[in-house]
Amino acid sequence: MTVTSTRYLQAASETEVISDRDTAKPPPRLWYAAEPPFKGYQAAPSGGFQQSSIDTAIVIDNGASLVRAGWSFDKRPRLSFPANVARYRDRKLNRTVSYVGYDGYADATTRGQIRTAFEPGSSVVTNWDVMEGILDSIFVKIGVDGTDGCVNRPILMTEPLANLGYPRKTMTEIIFECYSAPSLAFGIDSLFSFKYNKGTTGLVVSSSHTSTHLIPVLRSKAVMSSVTRLNWGGSQGVEYLLKLLRLKYPNWSPSQRFAEYQAEEMIREHCYVSNNYDMEVSKYLDWSGLEERDHIVQYPFTEHTVIEKTAEELARIAERKKEGGRRLQEQAAKMRLEKLVRKEQELDYFKELQGRLTNQTKKEIRRLLDEDEIRDEVQLDKTIKELEKSVRKARNKDVGGPENPEEEAATFPLLDVPDEQLDEAGLKQKRHQRLMKSNVDARARAKIEKEKEKARKAQEEMLENERRENDLEGWLDERRAARSAMLQKLKDRERQKADLGNRKSLASQQRMKTLAALASDQPGRKRRRGGDDDSFGANDDDWTVYRTVATGEQSDDEEEEDLGAGLKGIEAQLLKYDPSFTEQNTREAQTDWTKSMMHAFLRGPRPFNPESQQELHQIHLNVERIRIPEVVFQPAIAGLDQAGIVEITADIINQSLSKPEDRDSVLRDIFLTGGNTMFSGFDDRLREELRSVLPSESVVKVRKASDPLLDAWRGAAQWAGEPGFKQSAVTKDEYFEKGSEFLKVSISVAVAACLQALGSTLTIRQEHNLGNVSFLQQA
Amino acid sequence: MAPATPSPEDSHQQLLDQLDLTLKPRPFRNQAWKPSQRRNKNIKQIIAEASRKEASVLVTQDNSGDSTPLPPTSTMGTGAVTPLPTNGNAVHSNIAQAAQNLSTMVLEKNLQIAKSSGPIATYTNIESAPSLHPAHQKHYCDITGLPAPYTDPKTRLRYHNKEVFEVVRTLQQGQAESYLEARGAHVVLK
Repeated sequence: MTVTSTRYLQAASETEVISDRDTAKPPPRLWYAAEPPFKGYQAAPSGGFQQSSIDTAIVIDNGASLVRAGWSFDKRPRLSFPANVARYRDRKLNRTVSYVGYDGYADATTRGQIRTAFEPGSSVVTNWDVMEGILDSIFVKIGVDGTDGCVNRPILMTEPLANLGYPRKTMTEIIFECYSAPSLAFGIDSLFSFKYNKGTTGLVVSSSHTSTHLIPVLRSKAVMSSVTRLNWGGSQGVEYLLKLLRLKYPNWSPSQRFAEYQAEEMIREHCYVSNNYDMEVSKYLDWSGLEERDHIVQYPFTEHTVIEKTAEELARIAERKKEGGRRLQEQAAKMRLEKLVRKEQELDYFKELQGRLTNQTKKEIRRLLDEDEIRDEVQLDKTIKELEKSVRKARNKDVGGPENPEEEAATFPLLDVPDEQLDEAGLKQKRHQRLMKSNVDARARAKIEKEKEKARKAQEEMLENERRENDLEGWLDERRAARSAMLQKLKDRERQKADLGNRKSLASQQRMKTLAALASDQPGRKRRRGGDDDSFGANDDDWTVYRTVATGEQSDDEEEEDLGAGLKGIEAQLLKYDPSFTEQNTREAQTDWTKSMMHAFLRGPRPFNPESQQELHQIHLNVERIRIPEVVFQPAIAGLDQAGIVEITADIINQSLSKPEDRDSVLRDIFLTGGNTMFSGFDDRLREELRSVLPSESVVKVRKASDPLLDAWRGAAQWAGEPGFKQSAVTKDEYFEKGSEFLKVSISVAVAACLQALGSTLTIRQEHNLGNVSFLQQA
Repeated sequence: MAPATPSPEDSHQQLLDQLDLTLKPRPFRNQAWKPSQRRNKNIKQIIAEASRKEASVLVTQDNSGDSTPLPPTSTMGTGAVTPLPTNGNAVHSNIAQAAQNLSTMVLEKNLQIAKSSGPIATYTNIESAPSLHPAHQKHYCDITGLPAPYTDPKTRLRYHNKEVFEVVRTLQQGQAESYLEARGAHVVLK
């Protein structure tokens, strides 16, 4: 009982949904795919070098997404461009050209030659030729005049946290030996940003272009032993989105690849961090409100031009056609008339001839007939009769006179006469009459048959109606069974069609077997066993063997239509008599696109027209909008075998910080910086999740950097004006005098000094760890 | 006769010339700077080289007692003073050996510092560890990204419902593998 009631309930709610689905969605809002980020020629900002003194530092935030550079007195970096160079030999000019940063996006040739300075997916510099190009460009554009053959200003640069020894050594080499800078210091971008935002104790969560770092800072010094890196950042997000899009639209037109800068733009524009991912994602493709969640990105396309004709033109064409038809008809009528006249004349002539023949001698008759090439009087009679008939027919056609009554009274007198009594002509006549008679008989038989069939159908219908009236349930069950059988058949057919596409499938193998059996001369095993009595074709299903052999599209359609028509008939019956079978239960409604979740996923809340070039060049972003930023919280989504930031934070708080007061003060300042934290909802989500893993009484405060992108540079510029910078920078003399070992030590101190500048009072000792890495220890 | 207006190609070439870094004077560069041809190394190479170096140094360190004729007194403790070669043995005044002594000393000093101050943060060891939290092992549909209660045993793809399953079964060859790759669950042949 309960079951049936729920079924009705469901049906009711479904109707509601359907009626909701019937209402058309508002016209879509389109976003357009990004153009290559080419900015045209930009004159270098002038006056920097003149304004600078020998102590003014050049500050370079050497980030993997954008390199930012400027003088330490600037309010914001003068230059900001992607860390890549397009350098190649131009065959036409016969020289090497190189375009740095956005200039590399100038045209298709330069775009194809772009190389980045960083190892993909990390912020470690690995391509030093590109790096030199970037540095060259920076020094040229900020106006270093180089009169004494060197960059005569100190340099402050950022580097990744826990940088490897080799890249640091190489960078130092380049700065001192190629550019002969007076001194150099390294620092860490996220810590600069923290310092600029006046942080002293807290947890720096820096999610940047290539990685996410979590750095606990206690009283202005980083707790290096619990620094953690998650190998996920904006660039990995871009890669992931590209992968997903290629899979989502495998038949995307090859002329328009999904480009990285387009994916970057999509992530920036459309992605956000969901506050409750599991709940939101499971409802993301629901019908209601889908038009809000589904964002359409339109790629450029060319519409195939269909020449549209106006109504006037169409009318003119129709008129012309009609005119032509009329003219043809007139012509035909004229010709018919001419023929008729000719025939009438002939008829008159023959009739007159017949009249003349009476009362003539035989010889005279012979002569007259010969004149007209007629064999004998019988033939004359026949000719006259035929002419009369055709004249009458023609007249009827033109004038529309009464049907010929003679037809029905067709008699076959000769058939009863035995052959012996007939001459040659009579025999011929008799044969002809027999043929005619069998014709007439067959027609009569067919008529009777038709009548019988009609009667049978009526009888059947009556019986069925009777049965329906007597036993509705049974009848309905039968209908339902028939319907499901037909559905099954349709499904099977579809599956078979799909299977034949796959060469290894059972269906394909079966097909090859059948073909081989048909081609071989030996009779098959079955034939031998069953003798010659071949009952192939008696059963309708036998003919499906041809379906398995033919792979093309040729014959499918008609049979499909047959099945479809049959199904429709049954469904119509069910609709009429079955109260539980409603419009929504029909196959058509079931396969309706508004019901399809895949349609919602691929094409959004509107119908899809595969003919439209515009719609073929649209990307629908829906689940992706929260799926991409979610990876930082759940790296397993993208196959990254690392813990998410919430788990890392909990680990750092609970395990690395031993003192409870440290724990509390760190939790009071969780600081977000870096481009990948700019998603809306990032801070709320982090706060929510932290609250769920931390003790209930702990106070969690999450804040964002005032400018997550530029604050690192600003912090560095600020520090470059402080005495800490001068103390910790390595000078050129030190480099040349004391060599690489000292260099490493000093530079590491410089990194530490960045932390010192934050106000650290503790001694900071660094460590050169046997060639590999490591630079900083707190004792 | 030069054309009055430059053709589009000409103006584009002009723009390119304007952008071209190689055409700009760069007097601040040291003319004698000739970088090594093989300075571009990827991270894998760098880490491998570093760890090889480390390993070889460790071996030297282990053997230091045997190869150095001087007693171990010189290496432990403060390690600040190099013992003088007082016995006048020609072998000991060998410069190579002296250098070896020095490097051993530095190493040991470093080792001592390392011991005293705990592990050192390096590029490789600050990576976050795999997640241990069972709540984070949620399954999402490989195709739509929705929660996925099912797994297709044939392709190993996770899927949301029977409609997605139909799509899974009609995937072209190789497509299923790329879906797995996006989740990092594909088969890697070595």
